[in-house]
Amino acid sequence: MKRIYLYELKRLLWNKFFIGLLLVTLFYGGQVLQNETLLGVADTAPFSPWSFGAYLGRMLPLLWVGALFFLTFFTGAAQKRVAALTDATPAPPRRYDLARLAAAATGAALLSLAAVAEALFFYARMFAWYGWGALLPAALLALVPALALALGGGWLLGRARPWLLWLWAALPFVLMVLPLPQALSMLNGSFFSAYPASLDALDPAFALPGGVLAAQILLLATGAAAAVLGAGRRDVRV
Amino acid sequence: MHIEIQNLEMTYPNGKRALDGVSLSLRSPSLVGLLGPNGAGKSTLMKLLVAALLPTKGAVFVNGSPMPGAERALKAQLGYLPQDFGLFDELTATQFLSYMAALKGLKDSRAAVQEAIAAVGLEEKARARIRTLSGGQRQRVGIAQALLGDAPFLILDEPTVGLDPEERIRFRNLFSRVARDRLVLLSTHIIDDVQSVCDHLIVLHQGKVRFMGTPSELIRSAQGHVGTFLAKNAAQEKGLRVTARINTAEGVLCRVVAKALPDFVRPETPALEDAYLYLISGEAMA
Repeated sequence: MKRIYLYELKRLLWNKFFIGLLLVTLFYGGQVLQNETLLGVADTAPFSPWSFGAYLGRMLPLLWVGALFFLTFFTGAAQKRVAALTDATPAPPRRYDLARLAAAATGAALLSLAAVAEALFFYARMFAWYGWGALLPAALLALVPALALALGGGWLLGRARPWLLWLWAALPFVLMVLPLPQALSMLNGSFFSAYPASLDALDPAFALPGGVLAAQILLLATGAAAAVLGAGRRDVRV
Repeated sequence: MHIEIQNLEMTYPNGKRALDGVSLSLRSPSLVGLLGPNGAGKSTLMKLLVAALLPTKGAVFVNGSPMPGAERALKAQLGYLPQDFGLFDELTATQFLSYMAALKGLKDSRAAVQEAIAAVGLEEKARARIRTLSGGQRQRVGIAQALLGDAPFLILDEPTVGLDPEERIRFRNLFSRVARDRLVLLSTHIIDDVQSVCDHLIVLHQGKVRFMGTPSELIRSAQGHVGTFLAKNAAQEKGLRVTARINTAEGVLCRVVAKALPDFVRPETPALEDAYLYLISGEAMA
């Protein structure tokens, strides 16, 4: 399946849509960094994990859409026509699907890395700040569970009905305007500005309440379960 | 390779009965032509044979093992070209075939891909992206992926669609060659495609098997039912099925099939196409 993974990755990344998506991500990231992150959130430095997390929270809807864009390669009408050939091979359907999902996850990871790298470059240029390791927990917590949920849920929904993928793509934009409980507030990025402000301390260290951590683990597990549930399904009509 | 089909029925959720009590036995080596008009049930039968559909009733046995249950074993020995298929436009022909070889679990995939490309004469376009290929070239990529790995059972659904006459002849000969040691099921509605190469024919019509045997047996069944006459008025054609009209110096020469030829029709030696049309129209007239 390694060859399938590499070919799928080539299909996903070696096309003008990915280049366009990457450019839009970098442009939007630049705008957020210069207009919002530069000021810092909740009285913390612009390069604090809180400000960095808030930046990623702003980027999340775009990264979510990017992740789902990769899935359209596997759920669209064109893919169904290719499936007439691929379904007639002895390849185990679940392993085949997981190889393709891994390619989509790699694409989403690369897009996220581009957004993270842009922020790191911004910190280095503006503040000559290079303590990147301190930002890793915020990056992992903000991006991994949400994108796992995007990919897993998108995979399951898109395989059932391709148009559901577009509804799923709208979810983070809806969440941006909803008052989410604190446990889920990483999904719309509000956690990174609201929680440190509630701590009543100057430049608080990055910490996570147990409820938020549990919710992130739950989101990650839900995404993984949806991916496994959606993998290996085939349209065999009775 | 031995495929046994017993009393197969397929009714789609919309109520359309595509196959009705089909029983067949296919054994390698053989090149079996599957003939029938559009909507006869050919593609449905092929989809059932590749486990893309589950039958409403009946059973399919692969080398004695019943389906469902033997899909993996069947697919490991299968090369399949469906009538309607897609390719990954972003990949080159070689890359797509390498992708399919990986899915088929071929060990020496590089050699298998090169062999398949050579078999379909696509060497010049092997490194071209699929989106740049013509319809005929895409069809050849489809045929190449079916040929990958010398599968012992080939199912080809309308393989010569989109190919020019020269290519059609080339592929007919190719199918004939590969069928020397394999089982090839070739579905088509182009009689020329099966006339020269198939050793067995199956005619499907309205979901039922109407004929199963050799091409010469089908032709023999039409002996005495094919003839020609010079058309003088429309009333002459009543009760006859005109299969061809040819303009000649004396007038329009009509070639007809009928259960009983009228006196003004001169009997002719039937060709496979006449026999096929007689079989199909004979039922219509009955």
